[in-house]
Amino acid sequence: MNISNDSEFKAALSFLSGTNRRRVAAHFSENVLSLSKDARIKGAIDAAKRADITPAELAAAYQTARAASVESYTRCGRECNWNDQASHFVAEAGVACVQPDKPGANPAWDAAMQARMARTCETIATGRGTDNAEAAAQYRILAEFLNS
Amino acid sequence: MSASIEKGISVLKEVIDAPIASYFSSCVHCGLCAEACLFYTESGDPKYTPIHKLEPLRRVYKQEYTLLGRFAKILGLSKPVTDEELEEWKPLVYDSCTLCGRCSLVCPVGNDIVYMVRRLREGMAISGHAPEGLAGASQRAVEIGSPMGVKLPAVKAQMKHVQADTGIEIPLDVVGAEYMVLMSSMEIINFPEYLAAIARIMKQAGKTWTLCSEAFEATNSGIQIGVSDIARVLVQRIVDGAEKLKVKTVISPECGHAYTALRWEGPNLIGRPYSFEVLHILEVLDGFRNAGLLKTSGFEEAKLTFHDPCQLVRRGGVLEEPRRLLNLVAKDYVETGDPGKMNWCCGGGGGVSAIEEAEELRLTAFKVKKVQLEATGAKTLVTACANCRIVLEEGLEHYKMDIPVVGLTETIAAHLTAKE
Amino acid sequence: MYMLRGEIYSTPCILANSEFLETHMNEDLFLNWVRSTGLDISIGVFVLGTLWRLFEIYSLGRKTDLAVPRHRAGASGLHTLFRRSVPPPGMFKRSPISYVGGYVFHIGLFIVVFLFAQHIKLIQSLTGLSWPNLPAQFIDATAVVTLATMVLVLAERINKPVKRFLSTFGDYAGWALTFLPVLTGYLANKHLLLSYTTMLGLHILSVELLLVFIPFTKLFHVFTLWGSRWYNGDVNGRKGVPT
Repeated sequence: MNISNDSEFKAALSFLSGTNRRRVAAHFSENVLSLSKDARIKGAIDAAKRADITPAELAAAYQTARAASVESYTRCGRECNWNDQASHFVAEAGVACVQPDKPGANPAWDAAMQARMARTCETIATGRGTDNAEAAAQYRILAEFLNS
Repeated sequence: MSASIEKGISVLKEVIDAPIASYFSSCVHCGLCAEACLFYTESGDPKYTPIHKLEPLRRVYKQEYTLLGRFAKILGLSKPVTDEELEEWKPLVYDSCTLCGRCSLVCPVGNDIVYMVRRLREGMAISGHAPEGLAGASQRAVEIGSPMGVKLPAVKAQMKHVQADTGIEIPLDVVGAEYMVLMSSMEIINFPEYLAAIARIMKQAGKTWTLCSEAFEATNSGIQIGVSDIARVLVQRIVDGAEKLKVKTVISPECGHAYTALRWEGPNLIGRPYSFEVLHILEVLDGFRNAGLLKTSGFEEAKLTFHDPCQLVRRGGVLEEPRRLLNLVAKDYVETGDPGKMNWCCGGGGGVSAIEEAEELRLTAFKVKKVQLEATGAKTLVTACANCRIVLEEGLEHYKMDIPVVGLTETIAAHLTAKE
Repeated sequence: MYMLRGEIYSTPCILANSEFLETHMNEDLFLNWVRSTGLDISIGVFVLGTLWRLFEIYSLGRKTDLAVPRHRAGASGLHTLFRRSVPPPGMFKRSPISYVGGYVFHIGLFIVVFLFAQHIKLIQSLTGLSWPNLPAQFIDATAVVTLATMVLVLAERINKPVKRFLSTFGDYAGWALTFLPVLTGYLANKHLLLSYTTMLGLHILSVELLLVFIPFTKLFHVFTLWGSRWYNGDVNGRKGVPT
C-alpha cells in the first residue's frame, strides 16, 4: 500500500486496532528517539510495542513518560534551546504512545504529530529552515508496518 | 544602559503619583495583605508580606514628597535607599511576587499593592537590580522579537506543522483580515495545538484572520521586568503590525500578562488609544458562542475544574467568559473553593518562572494550589494561560498529583462539530 | 456637672489652707490651659495639618487612562468605598481578630466620641450642631468594650508574626494616642483614679495630642482610606472587576 499524503495517512491510521495503534506510535517515536537523551522515553516506547502489556504497566509507563515531558518544557521567559525542545517533543511522542484510551483519540496520530514537532525543532536548531522530511518518513514507516 | 542608584531613585520619584501617596499614607500595618499572598501563606515567612516588599518605594515617597520627610532628609535624620538595600529587596520584589494582585483585592484601606510593585520594579530594573533571567528575556524580546528567542522561521515551521495537522492553511500578513492573531512564545514553542485550535475555530465561524510576520509575539517582558520603555517598544510593534494590516481586532492569546500588557497598559505606554479592538481569545470565542457561530458536540467526561489565570480574570476582567465556554463542553464542572477573581495564583507569573533561583519558593507556594485542587476532586484541570499550564503541570508533578492540564481554547476546538 | 469653655471651676468653700489652694490652682490652671490655648493649638495643627497633607498627597494627581474601559455594574470607585469594609471571601477565617477587633473598636470609638451627651454638648458649643445621644450606661459599656478590644488588638499585633514584623514605633504610638483618650475619658467620667479636674485635663490633653498627630502618622488613614479605596475601585472597575 502506498501513502503519499496526510489524508491517506490519517485514514490508514484510523483503521488500526488499539494495540496496533500503539505499536505504530512507538515506531514513529523511535524515528526521532535520537533527538532525546532521556532514557525514560525509550522505556515508554518499548512498553507500547508489547502486545501483552497490562493496564497497570501501561499506567506506570504513562506516569514516567509524563514526568519526562513536564521536566523538559521550556519555562516561560527562558531562552529556548531548540535541541532541548526537540527532546521535549520526543517525550510528548512517548507520552502519546502510552496514554490512557480516550474516545476519539488516536495515539498513532498524536505520536506522529509530536514526532514531527521534534524534528521541526531539530531543523530550527540546526538552522536548516522549516522543511523536514519527517512526514514522508512516517508514511514509509506506516506502509512498511501495514505490509508486514 | 549604565545602571545606577541615582537613576533608580530618580525613576521612582517619577512614578510616584497621588494613588501611591494615598496608599502609603493609608497603610495601618494590619498584615492582611500577607494572608492573601501565597508566598507568605505557604512559607510562613513574614518578609513576603506584600506591603513590606515596597519599603524602598515608601521611603523614597516619604523623603521626596512629604514636608516632614524632606525636612528629616535635610537634617540627615532619614535612612537613604541604597544599592545594597535594593539588591536585598530583589528576591522580594521579583522572586516572590507574580503580580497576581490578590493583595490589592483584600487590603482594607484599599491599597493597590500590585500597582506599586509594578512601579517599584521600574526603579529596580534601571538601577541594575532586576533578576538575570528577566533581563535576558527582555533583551531577547527587543532584539529578536521574542523573550524566548523565537524567530519568524520557527513560527513558519509551526504554521507548516499545524497546516498538516488540521488541513487548514494558516494565513500570514493578510491585509484587511478581521482578526490579527498573536501568540506567545510559550505557545509557539510548547503548544502548537493552540494555533491548530484557532485555525479550526475560525474556519467554523467563517471569520477571516491572519498572523503578522512583524508582530507575532504577544508576551511583554517589559512589563514583567518593569521597564516601561521596553514594554512600549513591544506594544508599538503590535500596533504597527495591526495598523499595517488594517485589522479590526487583535486577539491576545492564552497568555496572562500579554493581555494586561496589550489591553490595559498598552495605550498608556504608547500615549494614544488604539485604532483597533483588543480582545482575549476567550472573549472572541464567547462572542462567537453568543452569535451562534460556535457549534460544538459532545462533552468532556471527566470532572473538570478551572484555574482562573490572574492576569486574565482578577487583573483583566474576563470573569464570566471561561465559564460560559466551559458550559458548552463540560458535563461535570466544579468550581474551586476560591473561584474567579479570588483564585490563588499558580505561582509562576510576573516573570517568576523565568527566575531559576525562585524555583524552590515557587514549588513551596504551590501547596496552596495542591490543597485547592484536591478539594475539588477534579480529574482534569482547564486553564487559559500557557505559562499557568506549565507551572501547574510542574507543580502537580512535583506533588505527585495525576491531573492533566489542558487549554480552554484547545478543549473547545476538540469539540467542534465536524463539517459533513 | 459640665463646664463650658472659659469658666474656672470654683470650690464652694475655699479654705485658707495654702497647700490645698496650690494643688487646686495647679490643676485648675492645667485644665484651663488645655481647654483654651491647648485646644487652639491642637485644633489649629489638626486642621492645617490635615489640609496640608491632603494637598500634599492628592495634588500629585494621576495620569489619564487611555485604555477603553469595560462597563460592569457594581464595579467602580464608589462601590469599593463601601464594599471594601466587608472581608473578601476566604479572608475572615485567616485573621478573624483583625476584622472583628477592627470593627468593634472603630465603631466603639465612633459611639463614645459622637454619641456621648457631653461630647455632643461640646460640639454644639463649637459649631451649633447637635443630635440625640445614647444613654450613659450604654456609653460606659461601649467604652469598656472598646478599651478591651484595643488591648486585644495590641496583643494580636505583638503576637502575630506578620503584624509584629511590620510594626514600628509609629504603630505602638498610634495605638497609645488612640487608647489614652478613651481610657482617660472613661476614668474622668467615672471620677476614678485622680481628681476630676486632673482627669478631665488629662483627657482633653490626650485628645489634643491625638489631634496633633493624626495628620502626620498612620492615623491619617481616617481621611486617606477613602481616596485609596476610590482609586483601587476605579482602576479595577475600568477593567470590569468589582473589588
